[in-house]
Amino acid sequence: MSFLPSCRDVSRHLSEALDSGRPLGMHVRLHLTLCEACRRVLAQFALIRHGASRAPDAGPSLPAEAKERLRRALGGG
Amino acid sequence: MTSDPSGWVDAYGDRLFRYALSRVRDEGAAEDLVQETLLAAFESRDRFKGESSELTWMTGILRNKLFELYRRQAREVPLLPSDEDADPQSEFFDARHWKADSAPRDWGGEPARSAESAEFAAALRRCLDALSAGVARAFVLREMEGFEPDAAAETLGVSRGHLAVLLYRARLRLRRCLEKSHFAPEAAG
Repeated sequence: MSFLPSCRDVSRHLSEALDSGRPLGMHVRLHLTLCEACRRVLAQFALIRHGASRAPDAGPSLPAEAKERLRRALGGG
Repeated sequence: MTSDPSGWVDAYGDRLFRYALSRVRDEGAAEDLVQETLLAAFESRDRFKGESSELTWMTGILRNKLFELYRRQAREVPLLPSDEDADPQSEFFDARHWKADSAPRDWGGEPARSAESAEFAAALRRCLDALSAGVARAFVLREMEGFEPDAAAETLGVSRGHLAVLLYRARLRLRRCLEKSHFAPEAAG
């Protein structure tokens, strides 16, 4: 399948398509029908975007000393 | 009219801190952003109309502080195309195909649900920390903040073509890091 773009080129096209919004070219689409690894990359780039766009609802807390400093600054301590 | 500012730290401090920490590289910078945000909210509290929640209002202030920080960093240390780490070509690919240890694996199960978990958020933060600063900031603006490419490029002080390179590197490296640390750690060997 040497007439088709390489996995390297396809992965770059997939990344650029996420930003341009333009449809994928015929050769890239044909490559995807034949290459499971690049199909996974397409899905996984989109999945990472989905997860990354959500605000974190768990994780570290503001350190206690910073809270105390801010409470004083805001007139509560 | 806002609630009593003396209660803001307890009501919003942790959530603002997590938001900031997911977008900057160290706790000190995240603390500074939260402090600047709460003090700016305090100064402008008379102008709060209550059209959104206080948390949404403060998150908007925090985002503007974050973008100001990125612009300042871009002015102080301009991103040059040669600054980022090695070209992904040899890191991920041989002549045409994925290298065996870089080929994307099946993430199995319910990856969409997994991408919404607190564990994903923690893994993403660790993986972002491993990127060079410019690559990480490009990803934050485009994928986490939803900036249009032209606006992200302007904020970072780079061309649209350079932004595309930064985003490509970010996506390839984050994909592999998240696969190894979160989505398919058992396959990492």
